[in-house]
Amino acid sequence: MENFLKKITKDVDLSFAILLSFCVYVFFAINIEVFFSHNISFAILERFAVLGLVGLALTICIIAGEIDLSIGSNAALCAVIVVKLTDPLGAPLAMIIGLSVSTLIGATQGFVIAFIRIRAIVITVGTLMLLRGVALLIAEEKTVMLTDFRVPDFITTKVLMYFSPASLTVIFIFICVGIFMRYTKYGREIYAIGGARKEALTAGIPLRRPMIIAFALSGFCAGFAGTVIGLKSGTAQGLGLQYLLLAGTVAAFVGGVSILGGKGGVLGAAIGALTVNFLNTGLVFYALQVHFVQLFTSVLLVIVIVFQTMSRVFDSRQARKSLLATIDERKTSLLEKKRSALGR
Amino acid sequence: MSAIIENNQLPFSTKFLQFYKDRTLLAILLSLFAVMFIYGIFFTENYLTITNFKAIIRDAALYGIMAIGLTFVTLSGNFFLLSLKETASICGVTFAMGMATGFGSPDLAGNFLVSLLAALAVGVVSGVIQGYFVGMGGNPIVVTLGGAGILYGIGAWWSDNLVINFTRPHDAEWLGTGSFLGLPSITWSFILIAIAAEIVLRHTNFGRKVYLVGANKAAGKATGHENFSMAIIVFTICSVCCAFVAVAFVAQMDSAQSNYFSAEFGSSGDMTILVIATVMVGGNSIMGGYGSTLRTSLGAIFIAMVDNMMVLQGFNSGPRIVGVGLMIVFSIIVFGLFAKGSRAQE
Repeated sequence: MENFLKKITKDVDLSFAILLSFCVYVFFAINIEVFFSHNISFAILERFAVLGLVGLALTICIIAGEIDLSIGSNAALCAVIVVKLTDPLGAPLAMIIGLSVSTLIGATQGFVIAFIRIRAIVITVGTLMLLRGVALLIAEEKTVMLTDFRVPDFITTKVLMYFSPASLTVIFIFICVGIFMRYTKYGREIYAIGGARKEALTAGIPLRRPMIIAFALSGFCAGFAGTVIGLKSGTAQGLGLQYLLLAGTVAAFVGGVSILGGKGGVLGAAIGALTVNFLNTGLVFYALQVHFVQLFTSVLLVIVIVFQTMSRVFDSRQARKSLLATIDERKTSLLEKKRSALGR
Repeated sequence: MSAIIENNQLPFSTKFLQFYKDRTLLAILLSLFAVMFIYGIFFTENYLTITNFKAIIRDAALYGIMAIGLTFVTLSGNFFLLSLKETASICGVTFAMGMATGFGSPDLAGNFLVSLLAALAVGVVSGVIQGYFVGMGGNPIVVTLGGAGILYGIGAWWSDNLVINFTRPHDAEWLGTGSFLGLPSITWSFILIAIAAEIVLRHTNFGRKVYLVGANKAAGKATGHENFSMAIIVFTICSVCCAFVAVAFVAQMDSAQSNYFSAEFGSSGDMTILVIATVMVGGNSIMGGYGSTLRTSLGAIFIAMVDNMMVLQGFNSGPRIVGVGLMIVFSIIVFGLFAKGSRAQE
């Protein structure tokens, strides 16, 4: 516990994330009577199953110092594949095929980025469009639908009051990824190439391995989010799911990742996703139109960006000040030495 | 001295290869142009007609103008804006509001100049605010992603998510559907803006500064050209270009809605991505400091040409989006491979 508190007070961004999440929750809990109930908690966790995964996918990429813009398209592609194949092949096999396609796409992106050494935003803008087109092709430009609705029913059954099979799986994925990022060599390499790429490469870390792993993980998470959405609603479209990019970015940034890379973690991603979910779920009660939800989510993002930029500027000013102070100190001490030497 | 002699002694083929390597992307683009053109002549009906070429340039003009604005941002090393279509949509809504209601005062209703100025002012404001955040040290992608949501939200809120109509005899017809010397006004604007942008970038102090800041941020800062003011200026230029396109488009449609520029605009899904694709297919370095608006214009015409051919061949939107996506990925990979280790990259 003490360790935990120490960690939180040391990490400004994480503590800001917790504070922000708490504020949003308390605001809605005060204003809406039913907000603090089992059903709402269940609904929040249901949304968490989707948004948390997208936030996690973006968090991993941003930790590696890159940003993956093709998440929405990747999720849409996976959703289309899974929904289309569930009827002929059954849900498990369809999921395996869809997720392996998503993971493979992510790994290919990571390989290209590491091989050509370009920034990820450049290549992922291209794949954003490409994957969207492929998803449209596979769906034959129609909405793909399930005919057998036992799978959606199974996914949304309540387990243990708060959970459903989907959210339980997602929490399991979160724990696995958290352990992987924190305690394995490969996970630490992702942090290393994000935080200090030149130093990491000089120290002998190959760029390709962590980059491929990071993007494969992010592709897997995005694909899984698409799978959950597709199987829950029983439908999928090639052009859908583009809003995931904004929501996922907000979740990742609220969770305290830094755009410079090497910072943040799975815990932060979970908190960020929960914050966005509180906001989305709370806004439902005000019966607002869709664009208001987008507006408020963006405002949240801007608040976080301003806070991060300000804290960075503040840090650099502090560092400069302390440097100047040290220089002054040395100067005066040297002068005194000189004076005392002359005086003698 | 020795370098010059060596260069003179090089055989012709090496020199040619060197020349080709220096202008690889332009050469590849031009050869692709030629291939597409010949393929089009022989295998597509109704391809080799004046009307079709006019249609191609007209299509290219709409996203070409936006792409020219975006080229300034890309050249200055600020990657790109993800809020292009949202900026355009809010400016379009402003313009239509002015044309339909005159912002509340009936005297101004239908006044073209006031509406145009209002739309451009909205573009300037959104560009300055986003540029300010980017100049302060925010990541352009994340800032404009947030900006996109806010601009769309405000636009939809203001127009109640409804279609704003204004009736046909209005002052903006010459811009929307009028034509001059056989070419539509929007095509003329595209040509003029392309020439102006090229002159600004090549022959003015400001244009050279854009290249300097983009090529080397540290050197730019050391010589007193900070990214802060540069970011604000280039973002404003880009937003004003978006506003102009929005005004032309709304004048053509006689109506505006907050999601006019969203899904399935024109051909390839998403206006923002299409414009970014145009900049990339033209072969501009996304890291900044290398490229030109001429390349962007060529990229716009190339994308429009490919798209036009696919339409004439009877493809659906799926294969067309795949086609544009493949073009982007191809040009990125080719550019990355050829620029490997050179100054143009990082």
